[in-house]
Amino acid sequence: MGNEIIQWLDNLLADVPGVGYHRKSDRRIRMDVSSETLPTLLELLRGRASYVHLSAITCVDWIKDGEFELVYHLWSYENNTLVSVHTRLPRSPGVYLSVYDIYHPAAFFERDIHEMFGLYFEGSPDMEKFILTEWDGPPPMRKDFDSEAWARRKFNFQDYQPEWLTKLEEQGGGVAVRPEDLRDKIRASEADE
Amino acid sequence: MRPENYQSKNHPPSNEYELNFGPNHPGIEGNYALQLKLHGDEIVSARADGGYLHRGFEKLMENRLWIQNIALVPRICVPDPAPMELCYSLAVEEISGFDVPQRAQWIRVLQLELSRISAHLFTFGGHAATTGMYSNMYWGVADRDILLDLFEEMTGGRVYSIYNIPGGVRRDLPEGFLDRVSSTMDYIESRLPDYDNLFFTNQVFVRRAKGAGVMNQEQALEWGVTGPNLRATGLAFDVRRDDPYLVYDQLDFEIPTEEAGDAWARTLVRRHELMQSIRIVRQVVKALPDIGGPIRCPIPNPLAWNVPAGEAYSRIESSKGETCYYVVSNGGDKPYRVHVRGPSSMHAVQVLENLVTGCRIEDVAQIMFSLDACPPEVDR
Amino acid sequence: MADEKEFPVMIQRANDPKRSNPMAHVFDELVKFCRSRSLFMLHYCTGCGAIELPPAMTSRFDMERLGIQPMVTPRQADILLVTGYVSTKTLKRIILTYEQMSSPKYVVGICSCTVNGGMYWQSYATAKKLDEYLPVDLYIAGCMPRPEAVMEGMKKLMGDIRSGKASNWKDYYENYDYYLGNQQHLFGDNWQTPTDVLAEAKTYGLEANGTAGEHTTLLQQYQSPLQPITTHFRIGETVERADQNESAKHGDK
Repeated sequence: MGNEIIQWLDNLLADVPGVGYHRKSDRRIRMDVSSETLPTLLELLRGRASYVHLSAITCVDWIKDGEFELVYHLWSYENNTLVSVHTRLPRSPGVYLSVYDIYHPAAFFERDIHEMFGLYFEGSPDMEKFILTEWDGPPPMRKDFDSEAWARRKFNFQDYQPEWLTKLEEQGGGVAVRPEDLRDKIRASEADE
Repeated sequence: MRPENYQSKNHPPSNEYELNFGPNHPGIEGNYALQLKLHGDEIVSARADGGYLHRGFEKLMENRLWIQNIALVPRICVPDPAPMELCYSLAVEEISGFDVPQRAQWIRVLQLELSRISAHLFTFGGHAATTGMYSNMYWGVADRDILLDLFEEMTGGRVYSIYNIPGGVRRDLPEGFLDRVSSTMDYIESRLPDYDNLFFTNQVFVRRAKGAGVMNQEQALEWGVTGPNLRATGLAFDVRRDDPYLVYDQLDFEIPTEEAGDAWARTLVRRHELMQSIRIVRQVVKALPDIGGPIRCPIPNPLAWNVPAGEAYSRIESSKGETCYYVVSNGGDKPYRVHVRGPSSMHAVQVLENLVTGCRIEDVAQIMFSLDACPPEVDR
Repeated sequence: MADEKEFPVMIQRANDPKRSNPMAHVFDELVKFCRSRSLFMLHYCTGCGAIELPPAMTSRFDMERLGIQPMVTPRQADILLVTGYVSTKTLKRIILTYEQMSSPKYVVGICSCTVNGGMYWQSYATAKKLDEYLPVDLYIAGCMPRPEAVMEGMKKLMGDIRSGKASNWKDYYENYDYYLGNQQHLFGDNWQTPTDVLAEAKTYGLEANGTAGEHTTLLQQYQSPLQPITTHFRIGETVERADQNESAKHGDK
């Protein structure tokens, strides 16, 4: 049963127009589809080809192309192969269909992608924020969000105290072995060998 | 997917109140919250509330060099950090096309299995503490400490090892280390009968845990459950055997399963897995002295290393389930996108909400520990 | 609401004339000694560093012999251990918890992330400098510090408590405006907690110039009085109430 499905995938699906098929290795297959045909392909893979496990949905922000890339990673317990289905969406009306009816684990990933990238999934049961509930900024994983600038604006750093060593020495502490001496010792022992 | 309109059988709807099983709670593993709605002491609906441990890892990783991310990555899963480093290294190796030497792969297996044993000991302790048996927690933490000593000797760090890099491992094993590993495995095996007497066959635990948080195999597959939780429902699936990585296809081990799918079955599967991990470690210890060679394949200068453009999805079995990393590179010296998929993304959010519905309030902590839900993996 | 005249409560103020007894200071030393030997730490694992706390508390390193035990409720805890980085969401809960603890209380910042942001210094979600929001008594650096380092830090804290140096909880009242200003900068102008810190400062006699200021006036604009929590817990009609039966039995007589 498993071998037939793999042959079917390798032979038939590779000829189907609109599905870019590429076998990366023994257990990894990559498919590229357009965003309209993706839900049908997923239903086919789940129903007929036994790919019942949705491992993850990843979103990649290709800001130079103005697109979001969604990758669906599916695993089959019978065939022991992993299929990654790639699709691209335009960045500006960031809306897409949810695959919750096909795969239930998609709810978590779609919720996560919505709050991190701002991409909305229609039909997903719960689009409320999960991690960033008290966040009022732009979606943080987008490439045009600068995390360091935001951190510098909102938070302050510790003041540097240059006399930290004198304070320790006052209390009786200090440096036991200076790093310079240790480095010289190590270099000398390495030169001997 | 959440059982809507769950009707409690024992308490009238007039006894309804809301409770925040909040972040400051000893029954929650880590810093995580559940908002519960109860009728009497039976939970009618639950809602997970995370984000207390959010650090923005995926954004941070895009701003660091490839080699600097190795220091960030173990912090994603705090009790069991070694698989995280390995998963990232495997993904980068797949993109770059590195050929990792044999000795490095065997040492990696050794580190992973020791990490799995230490994580399971911690989970036993946690689960026992939620049923009121605190001695087990003390034993579990103390035995885990002996393994942390081994880690310190091997890698330099007790918890966060920063030992696996793309291409191999950083340091070779110290002298006499393998003898110490064998004697530690003997010690842990000698402790297992004590654990059985105090915890696994203890009627307090058996009566509390049997029937708590039951899921059957169809529900588990539908909800995306992986790891020991899935094996406790009867499906014998393990990434180490069915999607092998490193040298697991040369090792001899079994996949333990249970049928019941409740908290008792899940913890028992972990206990059997611990025995199997000890078996794997012994095989590795026997085989390692004969495997020589380098511990690292030559990698370019880490500070000026441009990984070629590509993408890879690496998958391993950590102690909690299936851990996956999706790494995209666009040819630069920093990753373009790293997506971390921890097993607790499923377990701590949807599965926990579903399993907790219908059980009593005293079982919530037990169900969370038996699922081994790790909040830092969910929040990243 | 009970009238104060009905329940006379003795409130000890700081400059109470009863304390002019010179022998009172003898027991001060005893109290400080005992307090330093019996610290209850709040069992709130806020971050990564919490994984090294069970080894420190249990049999191998055994912090309990120093008198330090975990306590689950903030009302009865002495030490708030901030173990690791503090994300913005957790920081709100930590401030709420800190204000619920009763004085004297101590905050220990474990791990380098509380000192200067640690390795998450570029992150948009973690706070970098903990003592802008809470007064910190001790920092234990490390990533993460070993249990021995944690115990070394605890011993230093105990020494500071005995000598009286660790009194930063007073600083929270004396400089409340500064802390509140930082909290408002991060959380927004309508940030408020259920605890009335200004009234507590007045009760403890710790009001200073830094207690009230522009930020506290902003707080008082947004502060709403505490509402009683409505519970949905109504007893069903079919359940007989014992006291109703009693009054039914004895009421007509």
